[in-house]
Amino acid sequence: MTQTAFFVLVALTDEPRHGYGILQEVDSLSEGRVQLRIGSLYGALDRLTEDELIELDREEAHQGRLRRYYRLTDEGEAALSEEAERMAEGARTATRRVAARRPAEGGRKRSAGGRRRPGLAGGGA
Amino acid sequence: MSSLLEKRYRLVLRMLPRSYRERREEEMVDTYLEEFDEDALDEVRPSLSEVASIAALAVRTRMGSAGAPARYAVAGATVRLFALLSILIHAGRLLTNNAITVAWMAGAPVEDRRMYLQSLDDFSLTGIIGSICQWVLPLGWVVAYAALARDRRRAARVAAIVAAVPFVWTIVDPRWFGGLSGFDIATTAFAWLTALAVCCGFHDDAPATRLPLAPPGLALMTVCVLMGLWNVSMTPSVDFAGPEVSIWCVAGLLWCVARARREVAALEPPLSLALALVGVAVLAERMSQIGLIMDGGGLGEEPMPVMWGQTALAVLLVGITGVSGALAARRVTREDPARETGSAVG
Repeated sequence: MTQTAFFVLVALTDEPRHGYGILQEVDSLSEGRVQLRIGSLYGALDRLTEDELIELDREEAHQGRLRRYYRLTDEGEAALSEEAERMAEGARTATRRVAARRPAEGGRKRSAGGRRRPGLAGGGA
Repeated sequence: MSSLLEKRYRLVLRMLPRSYRERREEEMVDTYLEEFDEDALDEVRPSLSEVASIAALAVRTRMGSAGAPARYAVAGATVRLFALLSILIHAGRLLTNNAITVAWMAGAPVEDRRMYLQSLDDFSLTGIIGSICQWVLPLGWVVAYAALARDRRRAARVAAIVAAVPFVWTIVDPRWFGGLSGFDIATTAFAWLTALAVCCGFHDDAPATRLPLAPPGLALMTVCVLMGLWNVSMTPSVDFAGPEVSIWCVAGLLWCVARARREVAALEPPLSLALALVGVAVLAERMSQIGLIMDGGGLGEEPMPVMWGQTALAVLLVGITGVSGALAARRVTREDPARETGSAVG
């Protein structure tokens, strides 16, 4: 799952949102780190709709233009939950390895073992 | 009344296919304009990053991303197969040529070897850049091929562009000014079309694409062996395009057999269209080389009957694959009118 798709799914967990609403929510959730452009947003919405992870909730007229609201499907919720668990497992592994590395560093300089990079079970979204 | 910004943004959206705009334009305009104050609507322009994101979406949509009409799905699959087959040819040619050069160096007379090494002994800036272009960067074809085999598309895009750079150097190298041949232009165009196809076809949303009929490693090894055999059997002539045309003819004949046995039905029409496109690129190299020889640019030992016979077979196969692919594409587009209109969103 791409980072964009992950944040779009998270943005739709609490309520159906329209395009701009999703942009704002993603910006807020990522604390400004993920700045979605319109092209990226609609590319992700197309993919998530095709994969049936989100669906159209309703359409409204807004200042003479069409506004579509999207909601998370049950499949989307399951996919998001699975991805979140995978990421959390990766974060737990990283935390464990960093904690285990600290005492070893106090007694000696960098050993061959200490130079090994921690392997993440999960990874980026 | 629509604002200046809205008009400008709608102009940007015209990069998208019409069917996509019919589904999404109003919604995208609403999403975009929501960010701006009423007062600013006549004073700002869409930013470059917004325009770039729409351009990327336009390419992805035309390359058969999610929900794309049937004809774009066919176009995308064709471009991806074209990229894969072309990279296979480029990688095979590079490995074969390097292997033959090393083998020749090992057994060449001392005087010939010294003369060859002297040609690399140019430590001027252009000489160093030229050497890097000649020996290091083309390895990008092999890297791109391996990356695509593992579906590492970002790495494949970078490697393909890196591999295509030396072809630009061929054109800008001052030694070529006034002497650039049609063959140089044809090979440069083929290389950059390949890189472009990799960049456009293998976007992050594209489905995985694999070579038909053979695993990637076996396919590359077979191409190298066949190219090597052709080179050795044609010695002492220097037939630069011959190995590629031979490989393409073998692929075209294999396609005819597989099609007769209905083994590639699931890959049609993209496979036949991609083969035809690669065939056109390879034939362009072949014809430009023949033109060079006719103009007196050859070494005088080229087996012209073999070259003409090979070219005739390639032209015939390009015709068969191209017509077959075009007819199948027309059938697929007609059979999928629902997606063609692109009416459904959710």
